[in-house]
Amino acid sequence: MGRLRVLVAKEWEELRKIKMVLYGALFLPLLMGGLAGFMVWQGQGLPPEAQAALFNTALMYFLILPVMIPVTLAVYSIVGEKEQGTLEPLLATPLTDWEIFVGKALVAVLPAIGLTWAVFGLFLAAAHIILDGIPPGVLTLPWLLSIFVLSPLLAVFGVLVSMLISSRTSDPRAAYQFSGLAVVPTLIPLIVYSVQLTAVNFLLVILEGGILVLLDGLFLYLAVKLFRREEILTRWK
Amino acid sequence: MIHAEELTRRFGDRTAVDALTLDAREGEILGLLGPNGAGKTTTVRMLACLLAPTSGRASVAGHDIREAAPQVRGSVGILTESPGFYKRLTLERNLRFFAELYGVPAPREAVQRYLKRLGLWERRAEAVATLSKGLRQRLALARALVHEPKVLFLDEPTSGLDPESARDVRQFIGELASERRTVLLCTHNLAEAEELCARIAVLRTRLLALDRPDELKRRMSGSRVAIGLRNPRSEFATALGLPFVRTAELVHDGLSVEVADPERDVPALVRRLVELGAEIRSVARDERTLEDVYLELVGGDDGAA
Repeated sequence: MGRLRVLVAKEWEELRKIKMVLYGALFLPLLMGGLAGFMVWQGQGLPPEAQAALFNTALMYFLILPVMIPVTLAVYSIVGEKEQGTLEPLLATPLTDWEIFVGKALVAVLPAIGLTWAVFGLFLAAAHIILDGIPPGVLTLPWLLSIFVLSPLLAVFGVLVSMLISSRTSDPRAAYQFSGLAVVPTLIPLIVYSVQLTAVNFLLVILEGGILVLLDGLFLYLAVKLFRREEILTRWK
Repeated sequence: MIHAEELTRRFGDRTAVDALTLDAREGEILGLLGPNGAGKTTTVRMLACLLAPTSGRASVAGHDIREAAPQVRGSVGILTESPGFYKRLTLERNLRFFAELYGVPAPREAVQRYLKRLGLWERRAEAVATLSKGLRQRLALARALVHEPKVLFLDEPTSGLDPESARDVRQFIGELASERRTVLLCTHNLAEAEELCARIAVLRTRLLALDRPDELKRRMSGSRVAIGLRNPRSEFATALGLPFVRTAELVHDGLSVEVADPERDVPALVRRLVELGAEIRSVARDERTLEDVYLELVGGDDGAA
């Protein structure tokens, strides 16, 4: 645990020094939060049912966020090591393969979840002020599950995809582009909600959660296989 | 301190290191010479538990590389061929990170000690990106030592450095042996190997030779005698007619003669040359340079790699 803490602290310190990565990670939550707030702002004076529909659409921004925030961080934490030639000295330390993997993943997952929840809190506060209260039927169990269960699962998904892709390329631009594919699974419910085929409901949340658990499990298995010293030294580009 | 037995590593069909057996004692600097692709880096990586051997066994600092990899990693310091650092972080932060990963009890003090020792203390708060290559190499040495390892693996430590920086690094490596640390030094620089290493291993996938530099030179020189002449002539080489002379050839300022036993045969050889009218200026063992020895060993093993 001590070594893991040391690794995460160093990663953070390094990421904080890279303004592009830092601002990139902060810009998205502000943008998405702003868009969600704008959507709710448009609902002023509408009946509560219409406001709830706008909330449903706005929710999707908070499901895209946890996937998009960690992409930049995860890509840099791998590609940065390659660019700077620090992988071998790092692998020569007593860090275990698992600690390296978890350390790198946590650096991206934790801010993604934290920022998503923080922006969601701000959004609710803003909505409360704009609409003079939260419309009924919004903060239901499916909603809360979406924010507090799907978001972390999505963040893990985004990080794992980004790490897998980054391990295979030394070009950060290619890694960012391919990692952008991680957003695709979040677009399916977005389309469903935004065309108002259905509102946020328990079945959809459970379905997406189940798919994400399976995908996270699969990518975790692949990532753990990839995060072996031999593999990193001999196969990573 | 380092003991390898029949250590072998294959990558698919290609054998990178073939049945390498060597050992290095406490406080010894052992040179590992060989052309590019000879298996030096793979050897270091196996001994530092970064790569698993395909077969064979080895122990480093008393720990088996197969069974006690974390202990081995904790006991060795490694300087890789291109020493990478977190360029945006300061020198001090870079070293403290590694000191903490190695579990150094007082990391700040250890970092301070080595930054001062390597003349980097004044620049401790600067980002590594601002350092020259020579200073980075010194910082890499500090990193390799910050956890006080008993064994050091140094891969091309002076490669690409200016002569002054290279001299400083060599001087520092020399000090390590006096601290009872064992150093495995991979280098292409033969003069450096000769200056620093107690013994030298020549590797080209398999071990070609392992001995003290002077012994390697003596062994490869065989029983050749160099005779300096004021009047070098090819007839002296052809007219010797002595039973113990194996070969004799005219070189630019004398003769190079291979005899059966130099201790016994040189007086008779000198007498015979004087009889033939040679004006002898000097007689010496025809010692090869380490470069000659290296090239002969490596060149004579072309099919091995």
